[in-house]
Amino acid sequence: MNAAIIFVLLLALMLTGMPISISLGLTVLGFLFTMTTVPIESVALKLFTGIEKFEIMAIPFFILAGNFLTHGGVARRMINFAASMVGHWHGGLALAGVMACALFAAVSGSSPATVVAIGSIIMPAMVRQGYPKGFGAGVITTSGALGILIPPSIVMVMYSVSTNTSVGQLFMAGVVPGLLLAFLLGLTTWFLARKHNYPRLPKASWAERWVAFRKSAWGLLLIVIVMGGIYSGMFTPTEAAAVAAVYAFVVAVFVYKDMTLKKVPKVLLDSAAMSAMLLYIITNAMLFSFLMTSENIPQAMAGWILGKGFGVISFLLVVNVLLLLAGNVMEPSSIVLIMAPILFPVAMKLGIDPVHFGIIMVVNMEVGMCHPPVGLNLYVASGITKMGITELTIAVMPWLLTMLGFLLLITYVPFISTWLPQLIYK
Amino acid sequence: MKFLDHLEEWLIASLMGAATIVTFIAVLHRYLSGFAIPGVQEALIKINTSWAQELTIYMFVWMAKFGAAYGVRTGIHVGVDVLINKLPPARRNQFVIFGLLAGALFTGIVGTLGASFVWDIAHTDQTSADLEIPMWWVYLAVPLGSYLMCFRFLQVTWAFIKTGELPKHDHSHVEGLDDEVKA
Repeated sequence: MNAAIIFVLLLALMLTGMPISISLGLTVLGFLFTMTTVPIESVALKLFTGIEKFEIMAIPFFILAGNFLTHGGVARRMINFAASMVGHWHGGLALAGVMACALFAAVSGSSPATVVAIGSIIMPAMVRQGYPKGFGAGVITTSGALGILIPPSIVMVMYSVSTNTSVGQLFMAGVVPGLLLAFLLGLTTWFLARKHNYPRLPKASWAERWVAFRKSAWGLLLIVIVMGGIYSGMFTPTEAAAVAAVYAFVVAVFVYKDMTLKKVPKVLLDSAAMSAMLLYIITNAMLFSFLMTSENIPQAMAGWILGKGFGVISFLLVVNVLLLLAGNVMEPSSIVLIMAPILFPVAMKLGIDPVHFGIIMVVNMEVGMCHPPVGLNLYVASGITKMGITELTIAVMPWLLTMLGFLLLITYVPFISTWLPQLIYK
Repeated sequence: MKFLDHLEEWLIASLMGAATIVTFIAVLHRYLSGFAIPGVQEALIKINTSWAQELTIYMFVWMAKFGAAYGVRTGIHVGVDVLINKLPPARRNQFVIFGLLAGALFTGIVGTLGASFVWDIAHTDQTSADLEIPMWWVYLAVPLGSYLMCFRFLQVTWAFIKTGELPKHDHSHVEGLDDEVKA
C-alpha cells in the first residue's frame, strides 16, 4: 500500500515537469510528514551525508576532464588516426567515426560529450565527401552511446554508488561489451555502405598511420593512465578521474594549444554546474532510497516477484522493458538512481551477478539516449547537423536495431560482461 | 544582485578547480614520496596529505549546494516535460509555475531543516575526522545553499510571470563546438 502511494506521488509530481530532483525530494518529505513516524531529523542527516563519499567525487572530475577534452584537438587527432586505420574499407569515414567514438569513449564518461566531440568534426566531413546527411548522423548518434559503456563512465559510477558495487569492476566489465558493440555498429555501417556504395578513402601507408598515431598519442595515453591506473591499483577511480582532469587540462592548453587559459574559468564553471545538477539528483535519490528502505519496499517487491515464480529470464525481460520505457521520459542518471535501488535487491535474490546487472542497465540507458523523445544524443546530433528529430529517428534505425539485438545478447549472456573483471579481480 | 551572481559563479568554479588540484597533489605526493631521492623523500614524507580526501569531499559538497542554486538560475535541472509540452500554452504555464513554486517549497523546507540541524551541531564540539574543523562549518552549506536555491526559484518564477520566459540550459550545446565546425 505504502509503496503504491509513494510511486503514484512520485509519478504525479514528475509528470508536472518539475525537476526530477525536486519531485524525489517532495515525495519523501510529503510521505514522511503525513504517513510515518520516522523522525524528520534522520532526513536532515541524510541531506548532509548523502554525497559524502569519495567514490561519488569521480563524477565532477570526469565531467571536468571531458569538458577539457571536447575542445577539439584530442578528438580531431583520434579521428585522423582512426581514418588512417579503417578508412579504406566500405564506408571509410563512417567506420572511422565508430572507431573514433570508441577511442574517445575510453577517455570520456559521457555519451553526449562523445557525440559532440567526434560528431562535430566528422559529420560535416562526411557530407563533404558525399555521404547522405542521415547516414553520418545515424552512425555517430549511436556510436556516441559507447561513451557510457566503455569506461570511464559516469552512469556506472551512479550505479556503483546506489548499489555499493565496485566501480573498478564495473569499468572492467564495460570493456568487452563496449568493444563488441563498437564492432557490431561498425559491421552495420559496413553493410549499409557496401550496399549503397558509399565513398572510401585511399588506403593509408603504415608510415602515415604511424604519424597519425603519434599525433594522437597524447589523447590515447589518457586511456592508459585511467584504465591502467585503476587496474594496477595505482589510483582509485576518483583519483584517476582527478588525474585525468589535470592531464586533459595540460594537453588542451599546453600541448595541443586548442584552448587558451582565458577559457579555463568558463570550463570550470560549466563543469561545476553540470556536476552540481547530478550531485543534487544523487542527494535526493539517496533520500528516496532511504525512504524505500525504511518502508521495506525493495524487500517486499523482491518477495512478491519471487512469489510469482519469476525466473531470471522473465525478470530480466521485465527489467529491460521497464528501463526502455523509463528511457522514454528520463535521462540515464535519474533512471539509474531511482531504479537501481529497487531492482537490485531482486536481482541479487535471483542470483544475478551485480556487475552483470550493472552492464545491463548501462546498455539500456544507451538505447534510451538514441531515440526520442528524450534521447540526448539525438538532440546533440540534431544540433550539429540541423536535421529534425523525426528525420534523425529514421536515420538511426538500422543502428538502433543492432543495439537492441546487442541488448538481448548482453542480458542473456552474462559471460560477456563478467569474464574480464573475474579474470582481473580473481 | 549582480554581485551575488558573480560571487556564486566565482565560488563554484574555484571550488571545482581547487578540489581537482588538491586531489592531484595528494596523488602526486603519494608517488613522489615513494621514490628514494635523498633529502626530497624525507621532506615529502613529513608532509601529511591524509586530509586531502576529506577536503575534496567538503569542497564538492559546497560546490554541489551552490552549484544547484546556480543551476536553477540557468535552467540546468531537468524534468519530465514531455507531457506538459503537449498542453495548450496557458495550461502549460500553470504547470511550470506550479513546478517552480514546488521547488521553492522543497528547498525552503530543506533549508529550514538544515538550519536547525546546524544550530544543534554548533552547540556540540563535533569536528571532522582529519581536518578537525567544526562540523557545523561544513554543514552550513546545506541551509545556505538551499535558501539561495529557494530564492532563485522565486526569482525565476517572478521573471516567468512577468516575461513568460524560462532560463533554458541547452544540453545539446557544448562549448567549443562552434569554433570546431568553422575550422
